[in-house]
Amino acid sequence: MLYGRAPLPEIHEITPEEPRADGQPGDRELVEKAQKGDGAAFAMLVERHQRQLYRLALRMTGSEADAQEVLQEAFLNAYQKLPLFRGEAQFSSWLYRIAANSALMRLRRKRRAPDALADQPLELAGPKFSAEGYLEPTSSSDWSQRADERMMSGQLGAAINKAVDELPEDYRTVFLLKDVDGLSNEDIATALDLTIPAVKSRLHRARLALREKLGEFFDEPAK
Amino acid sequence: MTAEIHHCKECVDLLGEYIEGTLPPDRAKALEDHLSLCPPCITFVRTYKATRKLCHHALVRDMPRELMHSLSSFLAERVPGFKRSEDETVAAPAADSEPKKV
Ligand SMILES: [Zn+2]
Repeated sequence: MLYGRAPLPEIHEITPEEPRADGQPGDRELVEKAQKGDGAAFAMLVERHQRQLYRLALRMTGSEADAQEVLQEAFLNAYQKLPLFRGEAQFSSWLYRIAANSALMRLRRKRRAPDALADQPLELAGPKFSAEGYLEPTSSSDWSQRADERMMSGQLGAAINKAVDELPEDYRTVFLLKDVDGLSNEDIATALDLTIPAVKSRLHRARLALREKLGEFFDEPAK
Repeated sequence: MTAEIHHCKECVDLLGEYIEGTLPPDRAKALEDHLSLCPPCITFVRTYKATRKLCHHALVRDMPRELMHSLSSFLAERVPGFKRSEDETVAAPAADSEPKKV
């Protein structure tokens, strides 16, 4: 599979905007108003998208202080570029892209050699299969029933944090954005400049690795 | 042409698409057929789903209110007509909240 740069996101046909369930004006209508200088319309767009953008910025930079600056920069940048926005793309995807670029620039300034990360050797845990392709018993203990009882345990929370921190960064970000924050594969691909198959593949491998770690946690005798 | 799934490895490989509901119907059917005959894979599906649920639960974060306020103030100073929507609705600050720079 190619890990090259993603092509432009799929162009969606321009169709009439779906009415929103909450009766509020849709993004496209607000963007048109904001493009004509309506600051209140822009404020509504900010209010609508700030939480997801915050999660993206937080996951990419790993720091709340950086996320705050990324958010400020991204929304201001979006405002300044608003005249260039054309309705073919989703406004949210366009915003994600702006915020992701801002986060990447910030990361590059902090780390001298960002590309070294892409080459780091990958050692992700995963299930064990027999030579014939069947699951080994060690990979199939059923701890899912115990998951609820121990859900709130501080030890479990710590184990999850550690396991997620240990994922390679590219995998961690995709996993957090999708399974924790609920972004769509398309938005993640756009923001991180990945193909959709690359997003799906990283996501799946991250889940497999985390499943192994959680299995180890649940198989340990309770402390 | 529907190919049967004989090995758990194929089943595991398709799981991401399966739980997202994006697997083509014939592959989803083949996967379910395998699951009906393979208890280890049933367990695998359960723990795979539980992994997502537990991680979501442990790691989900909402944007802090203070950050919403500071973003709003930042933009209000730079975007003409930007309305700080929360200003009117916000109650008196709680005793422990830090005073914000104006
Ligand atoms: Zn199986």
